[in-house]
This record gives sequence, C-alpha cells and structure tokens, in this order.
Amino acid sequence: MLKKMAFSFPDEVLEHVFSFIQSDKDRNAVSMVCKSWYEIERWCRRKVFVGNCYAVSPRMVIRRFPEFRSIELKGKPHFADFNLVPDGWGGYVFPWIAEMAGAYPWLEEIRLKRMVVTDESLELIAKSFKNFKVLVLSSCEGFSTDGLAAIAASCKNLKELDLRDCEVDDLSAHWLSHFPETYTSLVSLNISCLGSDEASFSALERLVRRCTNLKTLRLNRAVPLDKIANILRHAPQLVEFGTGTYTADVRPDVYSDLAGVFSSCKELKSLSGFWDVIPDYLPAIYPVCSKLTSLNLSYATIQSPDLIKLVSHCPNLQRLLVLDYIEDSGLEVLASSCKDLQELRVFPSDPFGAEPNVSLTEQGLVAVSLGCPKLQSVLYFCRRMSNEALVTIARSRPNFTRFRLCIIEPKTADYLTLEPLDVGFGAIVQYCKDLRRLSLSGLLTDRVFEYIGTYAKKLEMLSVAFAGDSDLGLHHVLSGCESLRKLEIRDCPFGDKALLANAAKLETMRSLWMSSCAVSFAACKLLGQKMPRLNVEVIDERGPPDSRPENCPVDKLYIYRSIAGPRFDMPPFVWTMDEDSGLRLS
Amino acid sequence: MGRPTSSSSSIDSPNHFAFSSTASSQRDLTTDLRLGLSISIAPPFVREQWPPMKAAVAEEEHECNSSTFYVKVYMEGIPIGRKLDLLAHESYYDLIRTLEHMFHTNIIWAEAEMDRDHYEKYHVLTYEDKEGDWMMVGDVPWEMFLSAVRRLKISKC
Repeated sequence: MLKKMAFSFPDEVLEHVFSFIQSDKDRNAVSMVCKSWYEIERWCRRKVFVGNCYAVSPRMVIRRFPEFRSIELKGKPHFADFNLVPDGWGGYVFPWIAEMAGAYPWLEEIRLKRMVVTDESLELIAKSFKNFKVLVLSSCEGFSTDGLAAIAASCKNLKELDLRDCEVDDLSAHWLSHFPETYTSLVSLNISCLGSDEASFSALERLVRRCTNLKTLRLNRAVPLDKIANILRHAPQLVEFGTGTYTADVRPDVYSDLAGVFSSCKELKSLSGFWDVIPDYLPAIYPVCSKLTSLNLSYATIQSPDLIKLVSHCPNLQRLLVLDYIEDSGLEVLASSCKDLQELRVFPSDPFGAEPNVSLTEQGLVAVSLGCPKLQSVLYFCRRMSNEALVTIARSRPNFTRFRLCIIEPKTADYLTLEPLDVGFGAIVQYCKDLRRLSLSGLLTDRVFEYIGTYAKKLEMLSVAFAGDSDLGLHHVLSGCESLRKLEIRDCPFGDKALLANAAKLETMRSLWMSSCAVSFAACKLLGQKMPRLNVEVIDERGPPDSRPENCPVDKLYIYRSIAGPRFDMPPFVWTMDEDSGLRLS
Repeated sequence: MGRPTSSSSSIDSPNHFAFSSTASSQRDLTTDLRLGLSISIAPPFVREQWPPMKAAVAEEEHECNSSTFYVKVYMEGIPIGRKLDLLAHESYYDLIRTLEHMFHTNIIWAEAEMDRDHYEKYHVLTYEDKEGDWMMVGDVPWEMFLSAVRRLKISKC
C-alpha cells in the first residue's frame, strides 16, 4: 500500500515539486530514491554541475540530462593556480562545446573554471546557441579577444560576460565594438583581466550607455581615472563596480566630478579595482561607503592610515579583500567598525622579501576573530603564528566554515614556544564543527593530522604543504575525514603505505593531488591496476617514469574518480596508470 | 627544506628546521642549486610556486623588484641577436616554446623528437656554460641550467 503511494502522483506533480529543488546535492539525492524519480528528475534538471571535467564524458551527461539549460565545468586541479600544473596538462572545453552544440541548441549558460578555452570554442558557442545568455570564465586561458569578438557579435541575448582571473591574449580592444548598436541586454560585464593598453573607451561608453540594465561592471587596469566619471554617469544603477587605474594628477575638477558621480550611484554595494591607487582620490568614494557590503582592495597599495580611514566609513562591510598594508592596527579598527564582516582575505604585499615589511602578525587575525561575530571565511597570509593565538581564534569563532592560513616561510614554528602548530590547528578543527575548507601551514607533525582525522568530520577540502613526518599523517586524514572531497598535498613525506591502505577512500573523493612527496611509481601502477574507477595520472617533466627505478618517487600525482575511463588528450609528460599494462601513453 | 628523500624515516626532527633554511645537511641537489643562483631569490623555492597566491596578486606587486636574467640568443646566419629573460620561464618546455615562436623554427633539444627526413626545417639549441663550452640544452635539471648558462645559440642541423 505504502509502495504504491510513491507512484500515485502524476509525473507532472513530482516535476513541479522537484522544480523547487535547486542544489545539485539535493537533486542527486532525489534521483536515488527510486527508478521513476531518477527518470523524472533527469528530464527536468536544468542546471548541471560537473566538478571534474574528466570524471564523466560529455556524451554521458547529455544522455542522462536531455534538457539542461546551464552547465558548470571545472578542469585543472586547484594547485594550477600556483603554477604547479604544467602547461598543456589538459582541461580542454572544446569537446564539451562540440557535443553540446549538436544536442542543445537551446543552451543558455556556460560556467567554466580552470579550463582551456580556445577562440574556436568561443566561436562555436557564438554560432550554436541562439539563446545564449551567460558566459562565466573563471581562471581560464587559451583564448584571445578575437573569440570575445565572436561572442559579442552573435549573442544577441547575452546578459553576462565574466572573465574573472583569465589569461587572455589581448590582441585588440576593438572586440567591444562588435556588440551591435542594437544590443542592449547586458547585465554583467567583468573584463578586469584584460590588459590592452589601447582601450576602446568610446565603444565601452556607448555600450554602457545603451545597456540600461547593467548591474555589474568591472573594468580593467587600462581604463584611466578620468574616464570613470564618464562611464559611471551613464550607469547610476550599478550595483557592483570595478575601477581601472585609480591614479591621476591631483586636480580638483577631476576629483569633484568623480565624487559627484559616485554620489549619484545609490545602488552600489560592491567596489573593486583600485590599481595604483593614490590616497587623494579615495575620499571620492566615501558617499557610497555606508552601503558597501563588498570591497576588494587587493591591488590597492596604500598604507595603513588610509586603509583605516576607508574601512571606518564602511560599517556594513561583509567581505573585504586587502593587502597586508592594513597591518594589525587596521584590522583592529576593522574588528570594531564592521560587525557584519563574514569574509576576510589579507594578501602579502611583499611575499618574497626575507624580512617583514609591515606590522601584520597573528594579532590582526585574533582581533578580527574576537570582534566580528559573523566571520566565517578567512584567507590570511602572515609571517608568524602561535598556538595560543590559534586556540583563541578557534574558541571565539567556532562558526568558521573556511579557514586558510598561510605562514609565508614554510615550517615556521610557534614563535612563542618554538613548538609545532599542531595544537593550534587542532583547536580550529575541534571547535569549528562546520569547517568545510582548511589550509595548513607552519611547522606541523603527524599529530595535526590526527586531530584533523578525529574532529574534522565536515571537512571537504584540505590543502597541505611542507607538513607531517610520515605516512601516518596521510593515513589519519584519509581514514578519518568522512566528508573529504578534495585533498591537495605538496612537499610532504607521505609515501606508498597510506595511499595503498586507503585506496577505496579515493573513490569517495573528487580528487587527490600529491606533488614532491614520496609516492613511488610502483605504487602508482598498483593503484591504477587495482582501482579501475580511478584515473591515476603521473605528471613528470623529467621523462617517462619507467626510465627510472620503480621505487623512485614520482614528481606529481593526480588521482581522480571517473566513469569515463582514462582520457586521451594527455601531453607527453602525463601518464595514466591502468589495468592493462600499468602504463599507457596517450 | 626542498624535496624530502624517498625514505620517510630519514626526515629530521621538526625543530631542526625552525629558523634557518640552510641548517639541514639533508638538502638535496635541487635546493643547493637554487640557493647558488647568482641572481638571488630570497626564499629557496621556485618563485611562482610559493607562497600560494594567484599570479595576478603576486606579480602586480613585484614589477619593480622582480628578478630577471636576460641572456643573448643568436641564430646561425643572422648577425643581430635577441635577448631573452630566462627567469620568465618555468621549464625547458616553456623556453623552447618561446624560442620557436621568436625564431619561427622547430627546435631540437635533449628531449625533442625530430622528423629525420626534413632536418633542414630544424635548428639545434645549444648554450655556452660557465666554462665556455657549448652544450646541448636540456640534459641537466632546469635550475642547474639556469646557474650555468651564459648565452644561447640556435644552429642549423
């Protein structure tokens, strides 16, 4: 009787219910209830998320979800951001675009992260999807402004073009003129990564003027300060704005023009840009500061007093990205002024200097943790840390969900006691029960991994560098962290034992990266042979791993689960270990 | 510091590394070479790889104090040479790509494959080392190459 109830709703009713379920996790759960729910769900899933483009093939996705409108794909592993993944490794989007071009003429949204996107791919997008609306390329590379011109020219319904942190071959700024004069649907434009010196300001101004629904505009460094006023004058409805270069000769007329234009932007909530900023022009933004919730000053090379003045004007700030010029004193002011702060990122102004150039220490982080009750996400670069500070931070801020600490000099001990920082990070994982992401640094032994394995039950992503003593460390993490999805490790003494003992765990994770560790080629081969649903990739620019003894450690190892089998687009320095011969060349 | 040796039990006790990166006697060759570079890069790690920051934020701040290492590059038959910043490259693959682009040819080096029937389309890349000898590029680790190279030459096959 009860069994029948599940089938008693017509499909349309269930579909309607499912339409309220947007998150992928929930959708995936729904699809596993029973076969008929799987069927109904797959026909009505409109947004597909693929966390690793090599975990599944485009054809498989298309077969399962015949009617999606939006796809998000991620390619290279996270450590590619720090140049640890050699060029040419992979992550090509073209095969996906090619398959979707045929199957989904009505595709509307493509979001890509760390993928190689060629002009050919962009041209194919422009040609194939008549109702294309959203293109977000995050940390992508491989394309030029020619590809952007194709998108501009053909996508009449384009609403969003976001190129955050991309590497673009900037051939010409004139691509902006390819947006037809009749085109007015732009809502969001982020070109902050573009470099061209000769920028087509008039085309940009005309575009902004006619796109009256524009809400987000992030300019690139090439746009000078005196052009900003002209642009903003025509877009007082902007909610998010990124300036270009924020420096010019100090002239009262330019200043008052700028201040006037900012005052008319009543909806502004987010500011960024501020390259080469000079303090004299900063007060121009004071009129909007009281409404600001997000401020990105990571390119602003101004000193603590100016930063303090600015921050004191922003009581509603929720998100702040800033250089360490803010210093401990600035962070103390932040802690007392910005009680709504949720996310803080502090970047080093002189990461390669041997001596500290600013007075930014663990005290700043302690102040913010104590003073900001809603703080949940932190990325903090500093030069010293203590267990005492970490314990204070953990106790006062148990609501951390993301905690990333980078002590600049590897293996730096607690500066007060000279001990490892195991206890401090142990406190973080013990008190912050909802911690999903953690990055470790400083002097750490296997003990910290024992704490992590014991307490970090909700941890999904862990980044480790220059830490641990033995395989026991890795074993604690792999056997204890139940929610672990991504693990990335560099320069740690972890070898074969923990990896092989926890092979099954790897199938429950998205991926594992290990570079400059002690995993032997023999272990990689064994893992590849035993685990057919894992792709075990050895990345080694020194040459074929079988040209060295089997017990030699491999340079880089990237293991990820996949139902698509080994890939065939690997460069000469990547080898996949599989069941057959233990070694396969692409 | 640097890469651990293959046996994990041989890592020294952690306190040993507390202050000085030069204290350990277990430094391997790679670290030695990095520290021995005449152009000094303060921490003994390949610049772009540590600390873990996205390129844009790191490089922006260092346009004035970034290290460069320009060497002369001559192509056989062309009297006017070029200059190339080796520190702007991360590996041999990177360097070869730049040179092939700069000189519009296919480059032979230690790891290259050549189509033997069309050798006239290829050029061989060699470098002059500190002892004045001309050596084929690519036999030694990249860091060792950086500390030894004085200039580059691209010759016909």
